[in-house]
Amino acid sequence: MRFWKTTKGGCLSDRTPAIISVVIESRPTIKLLQKEFLHLPSLCNTVISMHKAVLGRRGLERLDLLLLAVETLDLNGGEAMLWTSSQIGLKDQFSSRVELWKLRCHNPLRKSTRRGRLSTEDSDSLISLVSSMAKRLYPVLHQMLSAKEPDDVNGERWLLFNQRLRDLIEERMNLRRGAVQRLLENKYSSSISRQLVLTLALSAGPGGVDRLRASLLDPIP
Amino acid sequence: MKHSFHYEHAAARLMIEGLPDYSLGHDDAVLGIVSGWSLTLVGAPELEGKREHLLALMEAVLPYSRYVLSGVDGVFGDVTGPVSIQKIDNKHVISLRSSKEGIEPLQIMLDDAELSDLVRCLDDLRFDPRIMISWNLPRDQPLPRNHVVGNIPLAQRFGVPLLGTSFFALIASFLLIVPIPSGNEASPPQTIKSLPNK
Repeated sequence: MRFWKTTKGGCLSDRTPAIISVVIESRPTIKLLQKEFLHLPSLCNTVISMHKAVLGRRGLERLDLLLLAVETLDLNGGEAMLWTSSQIGLKDQFSSRVELWKLRCHNPLRKSTRRGRLSTEDSDSLISLVSSMAKRLYPVLHQMLSAKEPDDVNGERWLLFNQRLRDLIEERMNLRRGAVQRLLENKYSSSISRQLVLTLALSAGPGGVDRLRASLLDPIP
Repeated sequence: MKHSFHYEHAAARLMIEGLPDYSLGHDDAVLGIVSGWSLTLVGAPELEGKREHLLALMEAVLPYSRYVLSGVDGVFGDVTGPVSIQKIDNKHVISLRSSKEGIEPLQIMLDDAELSDLVRCLDDLRFDPRIMISWNLPRDQPLPRNHVVGNIPLAQRFGVPLLGTSFFALIASFLLIVPIPSGNEASPPQTIKSLPNK
């Protein structure tokens, strides 16, 4: 169906937002932004202020849960994360599984939690890693979210996903915490799982990093 | 030289056509002027339009996806304009309104997978280095506190403060019952033992 009439049109102007986003994708960012876009202070300030923002407690929890969801979907998730991080130029941040684990331990819900907050660079690296892993796993995410897949097949996928996520949560999280108990409650777990998978799907690709970062910075009480 | 670029993800296929803008010094490989675009979504009619329509689609869908990521619903895009999107019964409903009179609005219902396909196509388009067009889309920002808080269930929002307040009230009322010793009561005589003189 031809809904809108196609005519010649369009205009051209500078492509600064696109350039800035590309620069953001290729970390390290802030110094480069300040240097490259001195002539656009207002635009740069908006971008830089978001980049300087430190993830809060809820943001850290969600970020670690997303990584846990990635591990749920990919049995060899730990190795895949290291490989992906080296592919996107984050080998220095995540030189080994231990380094990655140490960063993830900033999640206050973990059994072995670390005090303090993640630095902006570290959280940005983890966000980029989640986005890249989501891009890698996108076909699986798509299958799980699609209403056009057969119900019984998709039901089994979700069952398996929920069970593996539950196992990982029980293995790594502090089960005495109310938030962790809520994650394991049948009443909430399926909706939380779906929101995690949907978040991963919408975080994949070039625009996903900014979207996910903004979402993790939400002022959730 | 006319260009045609395609962006495809499972259920969505976006095609954009245009020309380089030589007046701005573009080389032959880039697209600076949009002459047309089309969007094919599986199970929905093909959409075509001008640059303005594509921009309206991006302005509605991309902020909506940002809010979906935070689990917050709402209507995005101008409800009287060409494109708006909202969540109805676990489906993402895009309403398209033609500028021509007498044409009924078209509604396209997407599931989560189709929405993410569409968002990825739009992302690919706006981050494509071959497309030299400034879309002037708002940057993704953390949501205002009232948007996020409004989405939290009442029991979860007010549960802890209510519990704390009632606990405080209970302690306060208990302390009110406890009698305060009056000051004019004679104190029991104290026996002072005299120390033996050395």
